[in-house]
Amino acid sequence: MKVKTIFFALAALTCSLLNACNDEGDTEKPVIDLIKPEKGAYLAIGGEHGVHFEMKLSDNDALNSYRVQIHDAFDGHDHQKTRSDDPEPFFYDSVFTDIHGQRNANVHHHAIMIPEGVTEGNYHMEVYCTDISGNQAYVFRNILLGHEEEDDHDD
Amino acid sequence: MLRGSNVPVGLFLWSVCIFLVEAQETDSVKIVTLSDITVSASYAKSLSRSSVVPINVAGKVFLREHTAGSLMQTLEHIPGVQAIDIGAGFSKPVIRGMGFNRIAVVDNGIKQEGQQWGIDHSLEIDAFNVERVMLRKGPASLLYGSDAIGGVIELTRLLPPLGNVHGEAILSAKSVNNLIGGSFMLGIRRKDWYVKGRVSAQYFGDYRIPTDTVIYLTQKMPIINRRLKNTAGKEMAASLMVSRYINAYSADYCFTSLQQSAGFFPGAHGIPDLSRLTDDGNNRDIGLPHSTVLHLRASTHQTYAFNLHTSIKWDAGFQWNHRREYSAFHTHYGTQTPPVADPDKELDFRLATLSSTFRFLLQPAPCWKHTAGWDLQYQDNAISGYSFLLPAFRRLTSGLLWLTDFRPSELLTLSGGLRYDVGYLQTEGFADPYLPAYLTSRGLSQESIEPFLFRSYPVRHTSENFSGSIGLSAQISEEHLVKFNLGNSFRLPTPNELTSNGVHHGAFRHEQGSPSLKPERGYQADLSYSFEKENVFTLTVSSFAAFFSNYIYLRPTGEWSPLPHAGQIYRYIGARSFFSGTELSAVVSLPGDLGYALDGDYVYSLNCEDRIPIAFTPPASLRQTLRWKIKPFTLLLQWQSVAVQRRVSRNEDPTYGAQLFHATLVLTLVGDITLTLAARNLTDIRWFNHLSFYRRIEIPEPGRNVQLLIRIPVTFTFKQK
Repeated sequence: MKVKTIFFALAALTCSLLNACNDEGDTEKPVIDLIKPEKGAYLAIGGEHGVHFEMKLSDNDALNSYRVQIHDAFDGHDHQKTRSDDPEPFFYDSVFTDIHGQRNANVHHHAIMIPEGVTEGNYHMEVYCTDISGNQAYVFRNILLGHEEEDDHDD
Repeated sequence: MLRGSNVPVGLFLWSVCIFLVEAQETDSVKIVTLSDITVSASYAKSLSRSSVVPINVAGKVFLREHTAGSLMQTLEHIPGVQAIDIGAGFSKPVIRGMGFNRIAVVDNGIKQEGQQWGIDHSLEIDAFNVERVMLRKGPASLLYGSDAIGGVIELTRLLPPLGNVHGEAILSAKSVNNLIGGSFMLGIRRKDWYVKGRVSAQYFGDYRIPTDTVIYLTQKMPIINRRLKNTAGKEMAASLMVSRYINAYSADYCFTSLQQSAGFFPGAHGIPDLSRLTDDGNNRDIGLPHSTVLHLRASTHQTYAFNLHTSIKWDAGFQWNHRREYSAFHTHYGTQTPPVADPDKELDFRLATLSSTFRFLLQPAPCWKHTAGWDLQYQDNAISGYSFLLPAFRRLTSGLLWLTDFRPSELLTLSGGLRYDVGYLQTEGFADPYLPAYLTSRGLSQESIEPFLFRSYPVRHTSENFSGSIGLSAQISEEHLVKFNLGNSFRLPTPNELTSNGVHHGAFRHEQGSPSLKPERGYQADLSYSFEKENVFTLTVSSFAAFFSNYIYLRPTGEWSPLPHAGQIYRYIGARSFFSGTELSAVVSLPGDLGYALDGDYVYSLNCEDRIPIAFTPPASLRQTLRWKIKPFTLLLQWQSVAVQRRVSRNEDPTYGAQLFHATLVLTLVGDITLTLAARNLTDIRWFNHLSFYRRIEIPEPGRNVQLLIRIPVTFTFKQK
């Protein structure tokens, strides 16, 4: 009899407590579909129109903002200090909040300007996107900066 | 060893008994005449009966039969215990979903203190030197103060065996990372002296994983020769213990030293260039990034019995934990140049800890015992390195406690206690000399740079806490044992939770402390039931439910970090949270020297404010073990089922389950020489451990691992004058 009571108490304790709270919070990350620049894309230094940047963002709840970073990857070790006799490496870091509150956003702009005078070579592009709960998505691209024609003319 | 608690009677009775026996046996160290097995079995049973919360004891036999990659992976065989693996050789403990600073590891009476808040910081304990582990699930703040909110792992030494000279040689080898290890111990007992020394060493190479490529963030990373590059490591340890037993007084002095070095897979610290993943022809070198830890410790344990009813105990210790993390010098600050000395030293923490625990035991009647205690701990942390994460700090904590155990009969135990703690923390501010210039160069205005002039502000944080618990353990009849305990526990916010501000290369995100955090408080109910029909069937079910009024966790803020490569800022905040779970353990004796054991556990966690699960909640798991014992062999076949973990926190990925098979063969030869051959992940499957450090970057667990452990004990008896 006692044993039954104990078993019942154990089961009741677990079950009631399990049902006491339910997950309702959002843990789903936004989705980044980075269309341009493509993997290994070639971006022109000193271009007048700026970099063709295009992506689709979506979230189950609501998007917050996104951030685009471009930094050099000259020595193969992405985070190594560059030597002082190097020319000026290009660096870009910007946050865009115009998507705030949207569920789906088509981003298309030419806001990233690569000025003349920066060093040619391998660069990394990093795109971060958060939703309003702090779920974060991330996309990483290897890109190339140079003086040849950009391989992208479809805009 | 300090013991007592919401659990104490058995422990105390046991230790006092030994103590009294020692007191009576003049001029000699107590001799254990029973075999290990009998001692541990009866000890475990009496301990269980008199403890009001679930308690597990892992003795020599258990440790031998469950040989795994590391000490914590061995203890994972106890339901409710998990390991956070850092590669194949290192790991750190998790009890019922709580890890890091929420559990205490107590080695020979002194709480182990390192930088245990870090995910890639492993337990700094020589696994060869572990003779017995006592695991206390659930809150043990009453006994150990702050940090013991989720449970305690107590490592204790066995009493010296017969004979006045005894020694042990252990050899260990593992196939998964080509590990070679060994340990030698020598103990000498003469009159009232006992001296024991041990040296151990382990060297291992990069470990094997059953895959050729890892895809992380759409980057395909090659795993050349199926070895995870730069995961080699080494560990060296030495210890010396001197004990003296004179009538009612006994004292021991312990000195240990442990040094660990471990490489990290370059991909775990940012996106690696593929050139860093190519084979360098040497899978035993430790390249960059890597960490090294030196842990030194000196401790003493003193007891004195005034009479049969009154005794005192004092444990004191000094620990020095020096952790260094190396990563090729990198900076995004144009004005920062590499340091002249040690240019690749990214982070350096030097933590000194002084601890003292004092216990006064009074037993006015055989059935009633009181314990009064005073605990004190002082810590000093110094920092250096070219990067910044955690400021220098000083911390003083102290607690007063009173515990009582009432045992009207062998079958009923009532325990309760109260404790008061105060804590004071002072951190040094840290002004980053390079960050403002960097931010200016990135085009930020003076106004927006203002908050970053100081990476960490100086903080003075004082907190106090009351805790208490009450419980009972009742042997209802021969077979049925019931335990119930109600208690509250607390944890003082750690310096990293209050003041850290930077990117930890292991976590790869910007972590920021909140200086205004209040202590974490939890209220927990534990209920457990055991049925035992000796040598036929045993069953134990333990359930717990805990509510935290202020559970501290890292919350993503949605604010972008100005630090390079950081994404958003994660800030420590407190939230109402709920944990619950059940552990099940059953053993059935089958005909023909066969035995079957079933062990399972499940943890549910919820952040009641965001209504999402809490990060690092272990998935449900089940272990089925078939044991065949025919002298001199013991054969164990194990089927481990790990469920999928879909209940994840923000920015934590779900992890699929797995079916794993393990086998262990123990051969006991003459002179108690044992040979253990253990094979883990027999089918060499590719699977992910939700709690593994490398899980975040989609790196599977180690592949098939065959381990060999040879243990050769020796004992001599010389005539003593």
